[in-house]
Amino acid sequence: MDFYLGLAQIIGVHTILGLSAYVVMLTGQLSLAQAGFFAIGAYVSGMLTVLAGFHILPAMLVGGLLAGVMACIVGFPALRVKGLMLVIATLAFGEFVRLFFFNFDYQISKGGIAVGPLGGEGFRQIRFFPENGWTSFDVMLFVWGVVIAVMAALWWMDRSRAGAVLRAVGEDELAAQSAGINLTVVKVAAMTAGGFIAGLGGGIYAHYTTHIEHLNFGVILATFAIAYPILGGLSNVFGTLLAVIFIQGVLVEGLRFMGDWRNLLFGALIVLAMNVRPRGLLDERSMALLKGLFTGRDHART
Amino acid sequence: MLELKSLSKHFGGVRAVDGLGLEVREGEIFGLIGPNGSGKSTTVNLICGVFPVTAGEIRFEGRDITHAQPHVCLAAGIARTFQNIRLFGHLSVWQNLWVAQNALADRKSAGFVKRWFSGSARARDETGALLEFAGLAAKADDLAGNLSFGEQRRLELARALAAKPKMLLLDEPAAGMNMEEVGQLRERLGALREDGKTILLVEHVMELVMGVTDRIAVLNFGQKIAEGTPDEIQNDPLVREAYLGTSGQGDA
Amino acid sequence: MEDFLFDLIDLVQSIADGLLFGTTYAMIGIGFTLIFGVMDKLNMSYAAAAIAGAYASVAAFALVPLPAPVVFFVAAVAGGVFGYVIYLLCFRFIPLASPLATLMATVGMLLLIDEIVVHETDGMPQPYPALFDDVMIEFGPFGLRGDLMFVFLVSVVAMGLLLYLIYRTRLGIATRAVSQQPVAAQLCGIGLERTNAMTFVITGVLGGVAGAMIGAAVGVLSPLLTLPFTVKGLIVTVIGGLGSIPGAIVAGLLVGAFENAFQFLRGVTERDMYVMLLLFVFLFLRPGGIFSRPAGRD
Repeated sequence: MDFYLGLAQIIGVHTILGLSAYVVMLTGQLSLAQAGFFAIGAYVSGMLTVLAGFHILPAMLVGGLLAGVMACIVGFPALRVKGLMLVIATLAFGEFVRLFFFNFDYQISKGGIAVGPLGGEGFRQIRFFPENGWTSFDVMLFVWGVVIAVMAALWWMDRSRAGAVLRAVGEDELAAQSAGINLTVVKVAAMTAGGFIAGLGGGIYAHYTTHIEHLNFGVILATFAIAYPILGGLSNVFGTLLAVIFIQGVLVEGLRFMGDWRNLLFGALIVLAMNVRPRGLLDERSMALLKGLFTGRDHART
Repeated sequence: MLELKSLSKHFGGVRAVDGLGLEVREGEIFGLIGPNGSGKSTTVNLICGVFPVTAGEIRFEGRDITHAQPHVCLAAGIARTFQNIRLFGHLSVWQNLWVAQNALADRKSAGFVKRWFSGSARARDETGALLEFAGLAAKADDLAGNLSFGEQRRLELARALAAKPKMLLLDEPAAGMNMEEVGQLRERLGALREDGKTILLVEHVMELVMGVTDRIAVLNFGQKIAEGTPDEIQNDPLVREAYLGTSGQGDA
Repeated sequence: MEDFLFDLIDLVQSIADGLLFGTTYAMIGIGFTLIFGVMDKLNMSYAAAAIAGAYASVAAFALVPLPAPVVFFVAAVAGGVFGYVIYLLCFRFIPLASPLATLMATVGMLLLIDEIVVHETDGMPQPYPALFDDVMIEFGPFGLRGDLMFVFLVSVVAMGLLLYLIYRTRLGIATRAVSQQPVAAQLCGIGLERTNAMTFVITGVLGGVAGAMIGAAVGVLSPLLTLPFTVKGLIVTVIGGLGSIPGAIVAGLLVGAFENAFQFLRGVTERDMYVMLLLFVFLFLRPGGIFSRPAGRD
């Protein structure tokens, strides 16, 4: 049972991470810094509960806000340049954050034990859940409560004018600008929102694993973050959820019997999927087909 | 209303637009014609802030918009269409209009939340009239990318109108249209004039330009070689030379 | 005062070593920049393929004991083959209109290559042959390591050959034509696909040389090399200006020197942080790179 609760927590946290990349990707930008924002949220909220005795909710919120502020700061110079520069700049920023925590010590003594982040050793004993008597089941409910809140917020955003504007920018920047959209504002806003969401996810992650270190937040995690929405497609938030369940549930857990061949398969599957379905598993066309199944109308006609 | 003062744009050594001066008056349809490569599209892109201006000045309603970015130009009241249609192909038809229903008209009255996060219901009411105008009411929910060529042109015009601009820049709106469609476009432009819109029309299709414009300027090699009413332009020897490469001696 | 002087000598020594090693960054940067120039796309798996080329030469060396220069040559050939494979798997069949898909495919390729290497070597570092590693050229208080000098010279020759290829041969002219005006180039009878494929093979060969030189300079090959070289190669590309070959060369040397200077000043764990900061300084002050290309091209 604990195995399934643990899996549900992983899927929940990775869904939040994937959705943080989804928001940015709607504007046609690719951010490899999501693991960095995730790390900021994890370290900051962990420090707040462990060192300052915060409750987890305000701690996560502060972690998320700080990650959002960093995303905004990174967004401005990086978005002045073209799309591919952003990929490189965000990759470098993500690595910078990781290296920062690799070199970051801030320990205080609590009840005779030193607690807090300790460079390469990582940050151990983030024990808010056990100290407050939360069971694994409670934690799972909490994680999914946050997941559902984030998904609902993004679903609503997608259906408002903001969603149409983000997608318009993603499709054709010049046309969007000519329709009166300030590109910088929209892109930086998307970056900021993505940073905030990733920070929230990091906050949860730090507390359910209880031990974080810089290696958790490397390029692999950043790759996962963008792989989910790309594989799931950008037509709606459920694509990302589906991709997380597919990758974490089916590939990572289901293929455990394959040993290290599993990791090989992961890279190969990404390559294959991009060749076969360049717009994601759930692209607009398959969404329209699905819709047609339920409403009896054929939306996919061309 | 729109004033260009010795406007120039150089790409490397090429003078795409060279010391161009124009004035478009309020409420008129002003035609901009010229052979291929004479700088018409570049002029549109300069006015809209797509290319940085090399020299000269652009004023709209007395306001200096020479170095304004595209979205600022729109906010000032100038909307445009593109020579090669640029719609948001993966958005639905009415969503294309929704994006452009910027705040321009209600920026002062509507709050941040209302402008960006209000649901689709109110927006659909507002786009309805525009879709009627463009003859796309039945296709409101289709993806813009799935429309036919003529429908896409109409949608682009509607999108430009969605921002409630004072002036429209139309970059070859009749390119690729058949005679029937050109006739419909002509009616639409007439209706827009009735509505009080000022229009700068860049066009090759002479039936349209001669039939609908109040005044015309002719460009060649980035410079204005003639300006006047359609009748004056049709009888201008310089224009005939630019278009036909003769001195106007034949019976062209 | 005496101490300070010694420190200064050591700093200058570090920078000199960094400049020599920086040629490997320059080569990786050129690879990224050339593919970007021709296809307007990033090949994230480039550095991984470069190091995989070196791994392939180690595998060949394990089968038949070969002299070091032959091992380096095998790495170059393997690099070219990998370049072509990456072109086929990540670029050839993915529609141009889906840039995200191509990028993601190359990221998948990066992971795949890395995992194959880890799988085949059990993640153990592999010793790599070097030349002249027992030579030390001394100038007063300074010394230049023979193996680094060799790496430097090979890299300079490889880059020189590449520049000759790009600027003086028909193939290179076709490549540049495609990078500047793809449609016009096609109308002139230049096969777009063939040129793209050739670009991948050529950059792949250069990557193989770079991988071999990285191995020769570090002394071992390890999967841990892939990521730093990917990130630094990309940083070199941005600092040099996306698409600019001379920029990539200068930026490669700059990053090499800068990194070694900060390794000396701040230690190895903090070193890379400063390289990232260098990138952000450039993004703020010169987003177009060292040699910004003139604006106005559409």
